[in-house]
Amino acid sequence: MMTQEMQFKKIVAQYCEVKPEDMKNEMRFREDLGFSSLDFMSFLGELEDTFDVELEEDDVLQVLTIAEALEMMEKLQQEA
Amino acid sequence: MGMLIRDILENSAEKFADIQAVKWLKKKEILERSYTELMENVVAIRKGLLAEGFQGKHIALIGVSSVEWIESYLGVITGNTVAVPLDAGLPGEDLIDLINRSDSEGLFLSPKHLPLLDAILAACPKLRKIWILQEEEVEVSDQKVVSLAELKKVSGANGADADRPSAEDVSTIIFTSGTTGKSKGVMLTQYNLATNVEYVRYTAEPGAAMLSVLPIHHAFCLVMDWLKGFSLGATICINDSLLHMVKNMGIFQPEVILMVPMMVETIYKRLSAADPAIPKQALADQVFGGKLRIIFTGGAHLDPFYIEKFAEYGVDIYEGYGMSECSPVISSNMPGDNKPGSIGRPLANAQIAFDNGEILVKGSSVMMGYYQMPEETAETLKDGWLHTGDKGYLDEDGFLFINGRVKNLIILSNGENISPEEIENKLALGALVGEVIVTGENNGLTARIYPDMDVVQAKGLGETEIQAGLQAFIDEYNKNQPTYRQITGLIVRKNPFIRSSTKKIKRQEALIDEPL
Repeated sequence: MMTQEMQFKKIVAQYCEVKPEDMKNEMRFREDLGFSSLDFMSFLGELEDTFDVELEEDDVLQVLTIAEALEMMEKLQQEA
Repeated sequence: MGMLIRDILENSAEKFADIQAVKWLKKKEILERSYTELMENVVAIRKGLLAEGFQGKHIALIGVSSVEWIESYLGVITGNTVAVPLDAGLPGEDLIDLINRSDSEGLFLSPKHLPLLDAILAACPKLRKIWILQEEEVEVSDQKVVSLAELKKVSGANGADADRPSAEDVSTIIFTSGTTGKSKGVMLTQYNLATNVEYVRYTAEPGAAMLSVLPIHHAFCLVMDWLKGFSLGATICINDSLLHMVKNMGIFQPEVILMVPMMVETIYKRLSAADPAIPKQALADQVFGGKLRIIFTGGAHLDPFYIEKFAEYGVDIYEGYGMSECSPVISSNMPGDNKPGSIGRPLANAQIAFDNGEILVKGSSVMMGYYQMPEETAETLKDGWLHTGDKGYLDEDGFLFINGRVKNLIILSNGENISPEEIENKLALGALVGEVIVTGENNGLTARIYPDMDVVQAKGLGETEIQAGLQAFIDEYNKNQPTYRQITGLIVRKNPFIRSSTKKIKRQEALIDEPL
């Protein structure tokens, strides 16, 4: 079964040219992966659906890197 | 159609009485407002404003799209008051500056902005009243601050109603950022707005769902989603967050959406990343909700590539062109009258002329001027012609094309005028091209390129390979270009271009290549 992190990176890969296996957790969505502001919002919407979490628009704007997004998601899953 | 937005609205309230005018989400529940209910609220707000002595005054609105926002806006502009929609995303000090510069005496404020209340009360002495856009009572000690519900109760059912405004009265002041200096308040009259609604001609069945995804203080959203939608008897569905745009397409199943190009690009990434085994129609239903047939785009140029691709999924994209100063639509492609790559034919109420390639517009949707800025108004409006600052041409079939901004024009010594943006848009399609600026140097064109680092890293390219790869791309581009448009110089940058606070590349600093 695919790990949650790999599943997450597969979603990231839809919006950029970097393959999931080449992604490093310190990569930044906008600068390193070339996400537009809207790519980022759309991506987070997909995370909500895939992992059944609810994100707050104001909170997610603080997230810059893959590591931060993973951490946010895990925290939300634990709280749920 | 009438001369006033009030005529349009009253007509719709009568014709489409029981149809839903607005739908929105509260948690996971869909709430609705019929045309009759909408009109009742609009009239109650209008009467309330009259009873509170606001006739002839300016009233600002701060908030994202909501049914309360649009009812308040319509309450203002269908009476003798002037609406000033402000960008809810601006920092507090900018909002305060705009409230003061627009001489607003009343303010509709979203509950989300309540933390700004004290600063606004302290710094905006002209404000006599602030209405919080909510039905619940407001727990604030200041008597100036009450809820929208209280404003609606002020006058009562038999209270006096505001007179109809005249067609030439200013109805709305929209602030536009402009390229330099401070933002300018575009004054749009009743007639400006009503004729823009009338002359953008497309049809939708009453009750057809439109999903509103753009910011409501933008003229494109305000006039073309809301006012145009209401004129057709459409149901305007509010997208509560950009996070949920795709999900909300599934919930509301819109037939029509207005977008900016970036949205189209993002959705395309989702479409193209899907499993190729999924049939296109099934994927389209999944992403677009199943009923989407039209996307109108504006605000920036859209690569026609996307128009072709979306058509494969059964969605037609129509690109248009406009600016706040023109209420806002100047031209648009339309179903049955469409040329991809162009920005459509000018509306029937817009005359088009050119001054050294700059597009000039005259007609009933052209603004009255900038609020309290006579010099800027005189620079932009000359003999009734609005100078757009965009360069373009009409083709033999009457379709308008844009090929750059006047200010960025490169004039070569052979007399050819080159719009760098047009070439940059083409060069930007190169896989290795991250950012590009074209400059006129040594009587030729030089492309300054910052490589796409994702690609460089993914392929593990070194300096020599980057240079060779980019040069091969430029050579290929040059093959199809007339001599004066060919790129004769290539400079590979080590650093990204310097950008302004609005994230636009600072063209005048394009030659500086130092770490940011």
